[in-house]
Amino acid sequence: MQLAHRPTDGWAENSSSGSVVLDTRNLSKVYGRGKQRFEAVQQVSLTLRQGEVLAFLGPNGAGKTTTIKMIAGLVRPTQGQITVAGEDPHRQPRALRHIGAVLEGNRNLYWRLTPEENLEYFGVLRQVPRKVAHRRGLELLARFGLEEKRQTPVQKLSRGMQQKVAIAVALIHNPKLLLLDEPTLGLDVEASEMVKALVRQIAQEGRAVLLTTHQLDVAEELSDRVAIIRRGRIIAEQSTEALLREFSSSTTYHLEVEGDLSPQQIHTVTQLGATVQGRQITYAGTPEHLYGLLGALSPVPLVSVQRDRADLTQVFLKLVNDHSDSSHAHD
Amino acid sequence: MPMIDLLHAELKRTWIQFIRYPTEVISGIVIIMAVFYGLFASAQYMAGPGFAFGDRLDAVVLGYAMWTLIISVNNDIAINLQIEAETGTLEQVFLSPYGAPRVFLARAFASLALRLVILVVVLLLLMGLSGSRLAFPPLLLLPLASLLLAGYGLAFLMGAAALVFKRVQQVLGIFQFLLLFLLAAPLEEATGLMQYLRFLLPMLPSTGLLRDLMARSLGLDWFTYGLALLNGIVYFALGLLVFRWAEATAKQRGSLSGY
Ligand SMILES: Nc1ncnc2c1ncn2[C@@H]1O[C@H](COP(=O)(O)OP(=O)(O)O)[C@@H](O)[C@H]1O
Ligand SMILES: [Mg+2]
Repeated sequence: MQLAHRPTDGWAENSSSGSVVLDTRNLSKVYGRGKQRFEAVQQVSLTLRQGEVLAFLGPNGAGKTTTIKMIAGLVRPTQGQITVAGEDPHRQPRALRHIGAVLEGNRNLYWRLTPEENLEYFGVLRQVPRKVAHRRGLELLARFGLEEKRQTPVQKLSRGMQQKVAIAVALIHNPKLLLLDEPTLGLDVEASEMVKALVRQIAQEGRAVLLTTHQLDVAEELSDRVAIIRRGRIIAEQSTEALLREFSSSTTYHLEVEGDLSPQQIHTVTQLGATVQGRQITYAGTPEHLYGLLGALSPVPLVSVQRDRADLTQVFLKLVNDHSDSSHAHD
Repeated sequence: MPMIDLLHAELKRTWIQFIRYPTEVISGIVIIMAVFYGLFASAQYMAGPGFAFGDRLDAVVLGYAMWTLIISVNNDIAINLQIEAETGTLEQVFLSPYGAPRVFLARAFASLALRLVILVVVLLLLMGLSGSRLAFPPLLLLPLASLLLAGYGLAFLMGAAALVFKRVQQVLGIFQFLLLFLLAAPLEEATGLMQYLRFLLPMLPSTGLLRDLMARSLGLDWFTYGLALLNGIVYFALGLLVFRWAEATAKQRGSLSGY
């Protein structure tokens, strides 16, 4: 039997046929009471399938960590439901077998233990039989290029290596869902790249990855989909590609000329939809019409023509700004 | 079966964290040795009413050993909980499908085992050095068990306090004196109302029985032991209950990490 798609699930139709790993419905969290009352997360609904990477993108304090912790069963939602592989982590501790998490901050590991010991300990803690945990631990260390460091106390490893060990530990029980809270925060460029490569591999194995970040490039490079969160609410959720495409369709060009334009030229250029500020001309239009504009500028010498490539930074700023305008109207 | 694995893992972790920095280990053992040596020496010297446990060296040593064991298990649970909340590993622990109470029970066992090993080593060393001999009747294990049960209950209470209030050092400081009272006050000799009330306080009925066996050379009164066991079970259950409440509260507040 064919099930009818709900209209809100538009994105799911063209995404992979993988099964749903994570589903949250209207998650909300209110911290504190009375004057301290603060709605950190409001009505967050997410669905994540096998092999998918969803970037949860938002400025500091937007509610990313709170959401991740609610999914991991560490913070109790004020409202809403969470299902991970069909189980609720707040009602059934068994659900935690499906979840691996690397939380924000630097310590997800025992610093006095070596990577090997951490892996075995956390494996058992996640109900993996001891021998299996040991073997899987060694495999993961080999795969992450940490074999040589497997007997060095975690304390003595570089920050990048510690992060890799933390990710390995989060995978020791072969979870379906990996939660990464700001996985590249505080890492140098090289370590960042390493971690990004790992995340891609992990998704290719068929795990669902939910990562939070306030770094746009991380979201852009890693994610299949982006959910942008601001003041506890999701203000956009789309495939990363579609989001970028939507915003690059109206391309902006910045032109600079070397001489002054005649009043007649300024008139023509403005008619074409460009704005002139001294020797700077900004034009938002199609590439074809750009030539019309260039013709109108002739014979004044050109200094430069530059196209804005829409990247997530712009999308993000635009969305966040639009929303602050509209929310001011409400306030 | 998996619980055995968990216990094994906790023993191993506790042991490795303990042994990895030998200077800490040595200084720790030296302190314990010094304290017990002082006990041995003064008990032998005075041969009078030393510690409240009774006037025999065995009883003094046992009393002090129980005190340090229960304090250290309580400290291990509460202080480590607090430290791990600050550093961040605590949340990883709460991600265990076993559920936090079982993990912390395994931790309490591991901590007791480690402290017990250290204590036995120290006592054996001191016996060798001083020529004193300690002797304990095997029946002692029964009131010890009910004592530890109540002690674990208290450890869970302290753990709960650490989860909810974060800063527990002061509480633990006061707690040590409370423990001293609970372990040392000979309320079994009290008359009147106190004779009955003592069964309501944690550990008191068990310590009374220990003194009967060690210092008064009395047999084990089975009826009293039944009450002591009940006391242990009730405090243990209470500890677990409050711990679960604290866990729920911390998750509600979002304060499992250092927030
Ligand atoms: N345990 C807590 N108690 C009270 N307020 C909190 C708590 N945790 C987070 N907050 C507040 O909730 C908001 C969202 O925080 P967080 O989820 O950490 O955001 P992000 O991870 O996106 O930076 C912030 O304003 C933060 O101060
Ligand atoms: Mg955060």
